[in-house]
Amino acid sequence: MIALDILLDGLFAAVAAIGFGAISDPPMRAFPRIALLAAVGHALRFSMMNYAEVDIASASLCAAMVIGFGSLWLGRGIRCPMTVLYIPALLPMVPGIYAYKSVFSLIMFLQSLNDPGQGMQYMQLFFLNATVSLSVIALLAAGATLPIFVFKERAFSLTRRRRPADRPGNARQTPPATDSDSPENDPARSEV
Amino acid sequence: MKTRHELTEILDFIAEYATYLLGSGVHTSRAIRNSQRIGQSLGVDIQLSSFQRSTILTVRDDESGEAITRVVKIPTLPISFERNSDLSALSWDALDEHLPLREIRRRCDELTAKPLIDPIFVLLTVGLANASFCRLFGGDWTAMAIVFTSTLVGYAAKQRMQAHGVNHFLIFIISAFMASLCASAALRFDCTAETALATSVLYLVPGVPLINGVIDIVEGHILIGCSRLINALLLIICIAIGLAATLLMVKDSLL
Repeated sequence: MIALDILLDGLFAAVAAIGFGAISDPPMRAFPRIALLAAVGHALRFSMMNYAEVDIASASLCAAMVIGFGSLWLGRGIRCPMTVLYIPALLPMVPGIYAYKSVFSLIMFLQSLNDPGQGMQYMQLFFLNATVSLSVIALLAAGATLPIFVFKERAFSLTRRRRPADRPGNARQTPPATDSDSPENDPARSEV
Repeated sequence: MKTRHELTEILDFIAEYATYLLGSGVHTSRAIRNSQRIGQSLGVDIQLSSFQRSTILTVRDDESGEAITRVVKIPTLPISFERNSDLSALSWDALDEHLPLREIRRRCDELTAKPLIDPIFVLLTVGLANASFCRLFGGDWTAMAIVFTSTLVGYAAKQRMQAHGVNHFLIFIISAFMASLCASAALRFDCTAETALATSVLYLVPGVPLINGVIDIVEGHILIGCSRLINALLLIICIAIGLAATLLMVKDSLL
């Protein structure tokens, strides 16, 4: 049952990532990898929060770091920069309910100005929810960006055509977008 | 050694290339790196610094010491990860294959002329995505169906308004209002209505400027990073205004 819950969570996260990613016009070849990253990341956060009792902020940071490193690893095979893979993959982790509750409690605070007791309660709720939303979003972005600093060289050359040594001559005819070898036989992987 | 005419040609191309990248949602350091890579392949030094609405570039020929500077406006383009990948790859090809400027320009025009992803496909996947998002927050099947429908309404309205060139703050307010109003229908059914209402507007969250802002800040481009974050924050406030309009109408049934 636990395994099924985790799988379902990953599945829905993958659908969410594909849809939200589609708004930003990613290359078609990136969709499977975006879905995979989002599923792994969200399922990891789900398990950490539900079975290891980690708080939402730390769990998001871990998941974002996994997504960041994953995009570094998967980006090479399809010549996509890391951000193209990890921004859509992070979107299903946006803390929507907390954001909604912040807006709702702000409105209710403004509606209950005549009743200081109730007003304070709504203000407290507003700060609680706003703090969680802001920290989670900041940690998501920071966590996924971390790999860029750790593996600068590799992160900056993801869109480079592979094996520059034997290129001049025949590779000129191939358009850049057709390079879609699987990352399994990527010689550059051993550099990391 | 380059003649002044050649330098101007290079500068004009890089100006177009860099602002195209920045306009379609690429973070600053990548735009700079890509431009410098193309400059390197053409044998010139390129420096650029960017603000939210404009970019300043200088091209310098190392042999003669001649330099030209231009300030260029950044166009407002739809965010496109495909352009981001393709144009980044182009800069590596330019360097690795020593392409002449004419060839780089030809390829660049080819890449930017590619059509964007089909809007109907985007509409449907966004609907599905928001419905799954509702599920992730613990919504039930009824709530998911309601979120799917209201996302279709809200996002279709957004696409139509964008096509008519409506101000983007207004687009966000109206689109959030329409989506959340449709989702408030969930209050009539026996389902997780609050989750439906909360998720119905989340397709609008400006993820790309938010994350680009953080990337820019941690990479030292603090000014433009803050501009991006403020821009994203304004859009989030617009979403909140649209949602608040609905909540004020239905708050009694939510308490």
